[in-house]
Amino acid sequence: MPSSTDTFSSTWLEAARDTRHLMRFRAGTVRRRGAALLGLAVVVVLTAVFAVAPTRVDLHAVESAPLERALAALESNLGAAFAGFLLLAIGAAMGSGGGRELLSRSEASVHPISPVTEHLGALVLAPVNLAWLVQGWGLLAITALVAPPERLLGAQLVVLAWVLAATALGQAAGWAVEGVRRTARGVLVVRLTAGAVVVLLAGLHLAGALAPLARALPTTWVADTAQTGRWPLAAGALLLLAVAAVVVGARPAGWALGLPPREELRVQSGVHEARPVPEPRWGSADRALLRRLDRGSVWRSVGMRRGLMVLGIGPGLVALVAGLEWGTVLLLPGLTASGAALLFGVNAWCLDGKGMVWRETLPVSAADVFDVRALVVAECMAVVSGVTVVLALLRNGLPPLAVGVAVASCWLVVVVQVLAIVMTWSIRSPYSVDLSSPRATPAPHAAMAGYAGRLSLVTTLTAMLFTGLAALPWAWVPAVVALPFLAWSTARLLRVRRRWSTGDERARVVLTVAAV
Amino acid sequence: MSQTPAVVVRDLHVRFGDVEAVAGVDLTADSGRATALLGRNGAGKSTTMKVLAGVVPPTSGAVTVAGHDAATDALGVKRAVGYCPDVGGLVPRATPWEHLQLSARLRRMDDWEERGRDLLERFELGDVAHRVVGGFSHGMSRRLSVVLAALHEPAVLLLDEPFDGVDPLGVEATLEVVADARARGACVLLSTHLRDLALEACGEAVVLRGGNRVAAMQAGDLTGEAYRALLD
Repeated sequence: MPSSTDTFSSTWLEAARDTRHLMRFRAGTVRRRGAALLGLAVVVVLTAVFAVAPTRVDLHAVESAPLERALAALESNLGAAFAGFLLLAIGAAMGSGGGRELLSRSEASVHPISPVTEHLGALVLAPVNLAWLVQGWGLLAITALVAPPERLLGAQLVVLAWVLAATALGQAAGWAVEGVRRTARGVLVVRLTAGAVVVLLAGLHLAGALAPLARALPTTWVADTAQTGRWPLAAGALLLLAVAAVVVGARPAGWALGLPPREELRVQSGVHEARPVPEPRWGSADRALLRRLDRGSVWRSVGMRRGLMVLGIGPGLVALVAGLEWGTVLLLPGLTASGAALLFGVNAWCLDGKGMVWRETLPVSAADVFDVRALVVAECMAVVSGVTVVLALLRNGLPPLAVGVAVASCWLVVVVQVLAIVMTWSIRSPYSVDLSSPRATPAPHAAMAGYAGRLSLVTTLTAMLFTGLAALPWAWVPAVVALPFLAWSTARLLRVRRRWSTGDERARVVLTVAAV
Repeated sequence: MSQTPAVVVRDLHVRFGDVEAVAGVDLTADSGRATALLGRNGAGKSTTMKVLAGVVPPTSGAVTVAGHDAATDALGVKRAVGYCPDVGGLVPRATPWEHLQLSARLRRMDDWEERGRDLLERFELGDVAHRVVGGFSHGMSRRLSVVLAALHEPAVLLLDEPFDGVDPLGVEATLEVVADARARGACVLLSTHLRDLALEACGEAVVLRGGNRVAAMQAGDLTGEAYRALLD
């Protein structure tokens, strides 16, 4: 009779083997292998650059008091930044229903895939998330900036060990929350708890107690020890913690995956009473009805609804509570709009799923269908980014005219910019996906990573330009600079609309999305 | 004077990249008649149906549906046709009633609600009219697809595998829809693997193989032995 140790090790070995098979299967389905490899190489190179390059910058040599202060603030808050990474890992796992899936639920349902394999798959996919990468790069860069050059290697190894440990801890917490969410009153419990945590953090911040509390966390010991000769102790402890978190995380994963997904089932069996045909003040009733159907497809999806709420409220609360400067606020609309687009906009036709064939048999012009879908994508982006701007406005009050014009221009530009980009991707590279599960993504993981990187880069660069323009004394400049951006994005949108209007292209998209 | 057939297909070719899904199909179907489209998997039945529904444009050949050229007037084709696709065919987070409402509105039907309710009841979907279809079983989805195809009493009714996974009551209701359509003078094209049901519903039969038409005959003449011989 095998011992419990044998059973334990064989369970994990089998799970690791199955995870490898699933990863190979997913890798085999990558359409543009060259682009995927290039993207991976860019990530590796950027990681090396962030880990090493800042150490070449001698900020002390500049002898600037504000710079010295900024450096000291970075150094004293490094431990808090470590804790921030853990919060991100927990939030990402919670938002994705426990964690991303290597195979969609319908594909996986016929295979004997254990919860441990699901858990390992979610861990492997955790880094395929731009927020995870950006925060990780941020930790590496700050550490390189503040650590003594002779201690850099040890300090960065500790950072990597913390990233592993925090990801594993976040994953375990994410599964636990998903398990609670799947219990009888779990959704309410999770919402109330999340709300209470937000209120608590906001209260601590407003009372001036959050920063000292964050600095008192054990992560400050980790950050400090990493820069001393005792770094192997910290790295070893974190690696042990990571292994323990991975092993322990399998328990809540098994619990959560063994329970029925109540929220999704409630949506699937939900009753939506008939409403009369809308009579819009402007535009046709046909378009209004199409718009209602598309909006329903967004807001009746658990994953999309949850994602839009988090994107709308999360950054806005940070702006409201932390009192971000307008220069920083300018970066947020682009990032939140990109986040909203990544929920479904990058593969906008997947809202219809297999129903796309039926939709295509309806006697309505292709242009109307395109316009309505683009409008619904734009609405989602505008709403979530708008909430951020409005909450920042509540905290900061009305900005000076030049800044106000820059914020409005930047907001409009990034929304139209992202819309044009994602509608182009939706027609160039459609995918058949089932978005009924919040663990699903609108495109394969490698494609999602590429989409996230490109959208963030474009919108951040645009926002940085408008941040610079906001400092100019002429309020009209940001509005004028916005015009070529809007013209370019509109031209791009019209080009992809024409492409959609051709029967062959539309048929390709329809048959791909519906998988028939 | 002979009436123009409702569906005329001449030398239809449909290519998807290097794959030729339909390779020279000829087909005619008259109003007031039901024609079965038979053949093995991959014979080109569903692709031909999608061309007739205006979903896929023909690569070459001539396709006329209720007087509309499928290559140049896809919108006209869509107005004339009611189509039940072979797979899925429903928007996952919309209710049956919302599907019916959109279909009726876009076809400018004013008094559709009574007929909609009646069809849903006949297909035993009345109780779930306001539930999202994402939670439907395969058979329920197939039945709703038939309801959607029949709602506007189209001149050409295209049913692709309507019996797939459907219970006997659903099969009966589908056969009734086909009979009603014939009675009011519509042209019905029904694609299926089930020869017996095809013969029960249709007067004519066309057999496709490898993207080509290999036989067209009276349904009664298509014995099991003859059908098997045509498939091999």
